[in-house]
Amino acid sequence: MEYRFVCSGKTYRVNIVADKEESWQVAIGDGKPLRVELITSSSGCYSFLMDGEPITAYAVEGGGKVYIFVAGQSFAFELEKGRARGTSGREVARGSGNLVASPMPGSLVKLLVSRGDEVEEGQTLAIVEAMKMENELRSPIKGVVRRVNFAEGNQVDALQPIIELEAL
Amino acid sequence: MIKKVLVANRGEIAIRVMRACQELGIKTVAIYSDADREALHLRIADESIPIGAPPASESYLNIDRIVRTAKRVGADAIHPGYGFLAENPDFAQRCEEEGIIFVGPTSATLRLVGDKVAARGTMQKAGIPIIPGMTFVGKGIEDFRKATSSLGYPVLVKASLGGGGKGMRIVRNERDLKNAIAAGRREAKSAFGDESVYLERYIEEPHHIEFQVLADKFGNVIHLFERECSIQRRYQKIVEETPSPTLSGELRTRMGEVAKKAIKAAGYTNAGTVEFLLDRDKGFFFLEVNARVQVEHPITELTTGVDLVKQQLLIAAGEKLALRQEDISQRGHAIEARIYAEDPTQDFLPSPGKILYLQEPQGPGLRIDSGIYPGCEVTPYYDPILSKIIAWGETREFARRRLIQGLKNYAILGISTTVGFLIDLLEHPQFVEGQTYTNFISKNMGGWRPKGNALDQALMVAAILSSEAPTKPEIVAAQATSPWQELGEWEICGSGV
Repeated sequence: MEYRFVCSGKTYRVNIVADKEESWQVAIGDGKPLRVELITSSSGCYSFLMDGEPITAYAVEGGGKVYIFVAGQSFAFELEKGRARGTSGREVARGSGNLVASPMPGSLVKLLVSRGDEVEEGQTLAIVEAMKMENELRSPIKGVVRRVNFAEGNQVDALQPIIELEAL
Repeated sequence: MIKKVLVANRGEIAIRVMRACQELGIKTVAIYSDADREALHLRIADESIPIGAPPASESYLNIDRIVRTAKRVGADAIHPGYGFLAENPDFAQRCEEEGIIFVGPTSATLRLVGDKVAARGTMQKAGIPIIPGMTFVGKGIEDFRKATSSLGYPVLVKASLGGGGKGMRIVRNERDLKNAIAAGRREAKSAFGDESVYLERYIEEPHHIEFQVLADKFGNVIHLFERECSIQRRYQKIVEETPSPTLSGELRTRMGEVAKKAIKAAGYTNAGTVEFLLDRDKGFFFLEVNARVQVEHPITELTTGVDLVKQQLLIAAGEKLALRQEDISQRGHAIEARIYAEDPTQDFLPSPGKILYLQEPQGPGLRIDSGIYPGCEVTPYYDPILSKIIAWGETREFARRRLIQGLKNYAILGISTTVGFLIDLLEHPQFVEGQTYTNFISKNMGGWRPKGNALDQALMVAAILSSEAPTKPEIVAAQATSPWQELGEWEICGSGV
């Protein structure tokens, strides 16, 4: 069975075949399959043997993601479904290039442009503050401001389009 | 002695202070904003009082409300922790006027040392070396332009009431000066309620070294050695250690004496920290006095055996320092790593959200000061610090290895944290050698990503769990864990010291 996991915008293919009770052959991408055995599991903590090497992993699911902590590093994976998906906020914000959104939830402390303004690529358009740190939102393109969806002082969610641009 | 302390803070430091109070037999009062109704510090306190809306300006920075609350609940002292109102002289003064003990220096001292510009003047007069820069608050842009003409670039915009790097901006050319000042002012206003900024020469590749000091109300001043705090991102410390691998015994003694002199010059009482920048030629400059308990105070506690928060409370209660300088010695080495709700792969962008899973490490020589529990919500309103992990070892190398092992067993899932980044930082050959400068992260850790083998292992685990998910009750159980179910375990893991 093949799974496609999305992590930090990248897609990874993993092939898995169960070979006996609590034991699998797992291959990343086109790599060589590795034998992984589950030794014990309890309350989100899993002990595996990966090619004979003992590995402890912690895992939890939530919000459509599986979170895994292993070898001191944590990862959040989303399952890439085979069927066509609806457009998520993340894709809107990243994909089309003419929407400007905050990567984090916070307070819109400064709005530096208004409708009809021409902006340069890289120009600071707005400033969002969260956890006392300011984050400058810069224009991804040279263009014209078509819509401004929030006012200064508003709370904005992560990836919610704040400014909509039209390329010049 | 103090009978009841209102802790005007939240998160790990509120809990740390409450523990010290409990050990001294002092009752504790927690305050909380509407965003913190389920925060951990409420569970530790003897009583908890709501203080206002989520934005800090309406809750944890609301002087009037906090003071009135203290009076209403009969608290005879307020401990401000760090951040928020910790170094706000108006707050300390209000406490003095209302007959409440402020656990910290007097409002007059706070006004002096909290005003970085005034402090620089005082230190200069006392013969203490200061960093070249403005000795007044800049008003119009001309003030700043004029200063840069004698200082030259790069310069640092600093908040006069600053601390923790908030409001600070490095400026490398004239073109960016105006925006940097505006941004610094906004950030300073938001963090400290005051927008005064000034300029200082930016010293390239310095060590950031600070001395812990205790001063009572009878003129007794001792220092408890230094903390090396050079590992910073966004001018904010993330790894600290003591002793500093950089200082010779002779330099340590000399800087300790200057630190005590600075504290005396400021008429400072209670626990405080004198910060220095050490340049490449081992010249040191007074940076500022931090008039509060520091985030990194545990490393001093682990190596000197002195409980700094208890000392703060005793000094505030008017007791004489029972410790003399000759009583203070350091044993072994301690390193602290700060765990923030930030994404190190995205330039340390804040990462609020729900903590879906938490497993804290244990073991000899490890201390964890934490403000989180499984299932708790990390809101976007406050500083993103989640917890601190501190390792003590007989040597620097043993402490370093302990800390790495601790971090490797510190599972926090559901939000991005600095855990994985800290492990790789502590394993970096330059850190192993003690080559710690304030630009360490930008120089050695830029573009950091988790190592490929960890990603591969995680992918395999993800595939196994995905293929098994419907029949594996453990995954569901971990997700559904309520904070109340975990409480018993939490108390054991998080009991610190």
